[in-house]
Amino acid sequence: MWKYVLKRILLALLTTFIILSLTFVLIKLLPVKKHMGKPPQRSAYYAEQIRLGYMYSSEVPEEGKSPADIVIFEDGKTVYYYQMPVMKQYVAWIGNILLHWDWGVSKTIEPNVKATVIIGGRLLTSMKINIISVIVSVPIGIALGILAALKKNTMIDHIISTIVMVLISLPGFVLITFLMLLLCYNSSLLPTQWPNPTDPIGQKVLGYIIPVVCLSLGSICGYCRFVRAELCDVLASDYLLLARTKGLTKSQSVMRHALRNAMVPIFPSILAEFIGIMGGSMILEGLYGIPGIGSLFVDAIGTEDYNILFVDMAIFTTIGLFAGVLLDLSYGFIDPRIRMGEKK
Amino acid sequence: MRKAKRLFAVLIAICMMTSIITLVAACDDPDNGHTGTWLPIADYRAYTKADLKSVKDGIGSVSESIDGKITEAYNAGLAAIDAANTVLDVKKAFTDAKTAIAKCIPLANGVKSLTGLNSEGKTDILGSLERYAVNNGITGITLFENGGYTMFSDRITLGTENYILGYGFGVLSEGSITKDLDSESNPAWKRYYHTYEPKNPQTLNYLDGDDSVIGDLYGYIAASYYTTFMNDEKDGYDWVPELAAADPEPVGGLNANGQAKKWRFEIRSGLKYSTLGKHSDTYNGLEVKPEDFLTPYKLMFNQANGLFRGGEAVEQTGAQYIVGSKEYYTATKDAKKGIDDSVDFSKVGVKVYQDPTDSSKWYFEYELGEAVTPYYARYYIASSLYQPIPYSFIEAIGGIDWYLGYNQDKSDTPVDNSLSLGAYVLERWDDGQLVFKKNPNYVYADIKYNIAGVHINILTAASTDRLAGFREFEAGKIDSSGIPQEKVKEFADDPRTRTTMGDFCYKLNVNTLDAETWKYMFGEQGVIKQTPTDQYWQVKPLMSNEHFIKGLSYATNRKEFAESKGYVASTNFFSPNYLSDPELGTSYNSTTQHAKALSDIVNDNTDEYGYSLELARDYFRMALDEVEASGLMKAGTKKNPTVIELTCVFYYASFEESMFKPVKQYWEEAFNHESVSEGRYKLDLKFLAPSNPDLAYDMMMEGQFDIGFGGITGNPMNPLDFISTLSSTPSVAGGWTLNWGLDTADVDSDILVYNGERWSFDALQQATQTTVVVKDGNIDKSIALVEDGGQTVEKTGDDLNVTVVVNYNKDFGVTNVQLADIVLFGGDSKDYTEWSLTGGETPILRATVLDDGKGKLTITLVLPAAEIAKLPEAENKGIDVYVTFTAGGVDVEKLISFYIFDAE
Repeated sequence: MWKYVLKRILLALLTTFIILSLTFVLIKLLPVKKHMGKPPQRSAYYAEQIRLGYMYSSEVPEEGKSPADIVIFEDGKTVYYYQMPVMKQYVAWIGNILLHWDWGVSKTIEPNVKATVIIGGRLLTSMKINIISVIVSVPIGIALGILAALKKNTMIDHIISTIVMVLISLPGFVLITFLMLLLCYNSSLLPTQWPNPTDPIGQKVLGYIIPVVCLSLGSICGYCRFVRAELCDVLASDYLLLARTKGLTKSQSVMRHALRNAMVPIFPSILAEFIGIMGGSMILEGLYGIPGIGSLFVDAIGTEDYNILFVDMAIFTTIGLFAGVLLDLSYGFIDPRIRMGEKK
Repeated sequence: MRKAKRLFAVLIAICMMTSIITLVAACDDPDNGHTGTWLPIADYRAYTKADLKSVKDGIGSVSESIDGKITEAYNAGLAAIDAANTVLDVKKAFTDAKTAIAKCIPLANGVKSLTGLNSEGKTDILGSLERYAVNNGITGITLFENGGYTMFSDRITLGTENYILGYGFGVLSEGSITKDLDSESNPAWKRYYHTYEPKNPQTLNYLDGDDSVIGDLYGYIAASYYTTFMNDEKDGYDWVPELAAADPEPVGGLNANGQAKKWRFEIRSGLKYSTLGKHSDTYNGLEVKPEDFLTPYKLMFNQANGLFRGGEAVEQTGAQYIVGSKEYYTATKDAKKGIDDSVDFSKVGVKVYQDPTDSSKWYFEYELGEAVTPYYARYYIASSLYQPIPYSFIEAIGGIDWYLGYNQDKSDTPVDNSLSLGAYVLERWDDGQLVFKKNPNYVYADIKYNIAGVHINILTAASTDRLAGFREFEAGKIDSSGIPQEKVKEFADDPRTRTTMGDFCYKLNVNTLDAETWKYMFGEQGVIKQTPTDQYWQVKPLMSNEHFIKGLSYATNRKEFAESKGYVASTNFFSPNYLSDPELGTSYNSTTQHAKALSDIVNDNTDEYGYSLELARDYFRMALDEVEASGLMKAGTKKNPTVIELTCVFYYASFEESMFKPVKQYWEEAFNHESVSEGRYKLDLKFLAPSNPDLAYDMMMEGQFDIGFGGITGNPMNPLDFISTLSSTPSVAGGWTLNWGLDTADVDSDILVYNGERWSFDALQQATQTTVVVKDGNIDKSIALVEDGGQTVEKTGDDLNVTVVVNYNKDFGVTNVQLADIVLFGGDSKDYTEWSLTGGETPILRATVLDDGKGKLTITLVLPAAEIAKLPEAENKGIDVYVTFTAGGVDVEKLISFYIFDAE
């Protein structure tokens, strides 16, 4: 068992490394963004790129190489800027991480601040919102799913299923915008933006409502559909009929047998939903002004702040892969019949 | 048999009848070919004569004799046009007449500098350059200015009700707040002015920032030597000393043009820094020392610090350049970060010194790259970038990298790492808000900036949602907001709404290059960019026709377009904040020179914004006649018209609905009208928005477009500098050319006359900024006015006898050549020494000068061995010879370096 766990963790780490390496190389293979501006501004920008080791310059064109940019000064002096070979940049980058745990500093988002520090400051906010969303969505989703399954093909089931279908079809940004217009701008019940640290505690609590509701609704619908489907299957199974014929009441048979069996595939799906929520928070964070790692990821791509992008990528990849490991392991704990890593 | 014969005859008859009917029908079919012209030839002649008149009017009066010759050539041209009977002949008559007129005017030659002209003179040149650009279509087609409607909360009392150009409403400086903001939860901030930014810049370091938001935010805490405040009449503004105690005074007096290069001002005494961060115990209330005035220059010009604004400043030209900064920047490539005292700063044109007669007074002296009037001496140095800094503060926060920002582990915030001498001091910096508090130590704290603070909400939604800011305003969270186009009708007449003037003109840039010129500029061997043949832009023949471009301009209903979006319609190249006379605050757009420049576009036949459907269609007909006559295009049929597909590049996909479609409608409705070409030509505009907005600009700068939406902005105090962006020469335009057409470096591209001489666009524009050598109307960089004529070095004992020769170009009018200074230098960036002859720093250089009057200046001098021995060991040793001379009435100083010790 422990050998299996270790093997999965090492595999997850290897996968993270490969993903990050590919990301680095592919991003660095992109054409270098030309700087806009007059020659002095452009030369100042490229001087910084040279200092970072990403580029080099020459006053004569190099045979067979295409310059990333050419700056012609007023006196006619021409400077050709070339990108350093990608693998040279990669070796330097990976060396710094492995030897010094140095992921570099931010270039544009928070200039000169360590990328890990920036991510660290924002990770907590994102995690808080995501975890609260999971805590809210799991019981509500499961409860609605059970209700719908138990009341299958009744008015209650139809109402729940219809609402679930509508909400699950709504794109996240539409829901966020709608809720903000309704609850923040039109009725002034909630803050229009993520509260600042100086705002009163009540305001801060209210600030969680929009993001948690937005992130939870999709999950609630997902859990509800999943639980309903699983439970309906179990309720129609022979062993449950047997339990009833042995004299158990309906609630006893549901609570003791049906639910326990239905939960086997449901609990692992909570982890999968959590990863989904993390992804969904990128849009939400941007619209509601939440200083989290989701909006940071988008900003890092937009501003080409690659050091931030790589750390953010590492976080998302690591969380995703380790959640997968946990998911696999959880089967063994939930269903005693499943034994991890054991050979037949 | 007879029957068969009869049947055959009938068949023959039927066939013949059918052929005849078909032939007749074919002759009558409007879709079968087109003869004649789209515009009646008489009308074509009339428009061509108007074009020729415009050429003549653009030249104005040169001299009596030349005016006579021009009139003669003009009249001959009119007669030739009248006599011509085909489009080609009329066109030829026009071209011949224009060439004949051009030949009447002498070409500019010699060393030229127009930097000393007064405002009126500069405005005349600007008018000529603008007219040239407008008539050749290289200003693009302006649509609107970004000015429009802004709403202010009713708790704000504005400094003035009428928007002041280049100043605004004086909200913070002269305005006030009359009641609390209910939505603000912090009681201390309820009377702060609340506004928003879409993004948190995470730093206030404007010394290293190319983002205008950083500049705006830094402006809250930074002070300049001089600033502006609203005048008593509330219709303009006055300059006042801020960190200076008085206006600048010329060092050594003014020249004949009332200008000087070297200036000084008295430093205001009693200035105090403010900070609310963790260094407040030491620095809050600390008095500013005179040497602190030099710190920003030493930091910015030190290349090792990599500060963006430093790299930019040292590459400035003309009066915006601080003398010696480039040399210092070069010498500090490998210097230590911060301030490196081992590199000599004394040659940089800024210094502070005590008044020898009054020890309580300190002066700041500065030397600019070009002589300027007292107004510009104040203007060019009045930048918040130069706010004093105590260097000990930079050391206290851990180095220049953290100045005005976070430190590496974010344990220090911009609040900790900033010092203020401005109206506000940084109070709080969070991801979602930036807060500034009124600075009690500010020079004018008692009389200006009465609003207690500024709260900036970071509204990230505003970067993708145009309505986000306005919703915050409606919800009472912020104090002002522009009105988005969807709300203009609803709020334009609201009592809280004010009208603002724009500082930016949005244009439809045009690529009017013909195929040959496109290839010359951007082809495989292009002089601007080299493009592989498979990526050549498919140039549309109509786009290089000036009448077609004029037609597009006339077809654009700017008024309707702009009003529907809450903007101000415009035909101007410059937004109204560009000033022809900064001292008087006169907008260039209000001058007669500007009106004359636009007279072909906006006149009695158009509405006030140059719209005339009738003119547009006539010019389209004219253009079609011309391209058909020259064989570049052929009309299609009604069923199968010749399609002219134009690619219109926009930087956002969202602009398709709001910006592109109305223009498409205006132009296609005008061009595709039955009356223009009977439907045989069809204009079809295609929208293109690249994945990255920057790519749109790249496409425009590399000639890969037909029409491109956008624009750029520059220094509003110097429109003559900004108009350089219309040049097709990258080194003149700084790589910012968005409209392509004629070669602006070539005097023969079109007629441009100033001071009785014919110039190329580049030559005239550059002469207004610096000294240029002009040959036959064009800039000629190959001509040297003075140059190294060789050197001899002999040893007399251990001393060196040196003879250097400076050749001067007598043929090009170089006279009055004088030796200005000799500097003995040696060393590298780590150990560098130099002694100046005129600086009185050394008696070693005994120089004698001999001018043979034929173009040769011989300088002999003796370098004593003992002094040479003092130079550091390095390959870089020699003498700099500074000579001054006069050429074309312009005084020029030139440096020539002789590496004596190589020759030794």
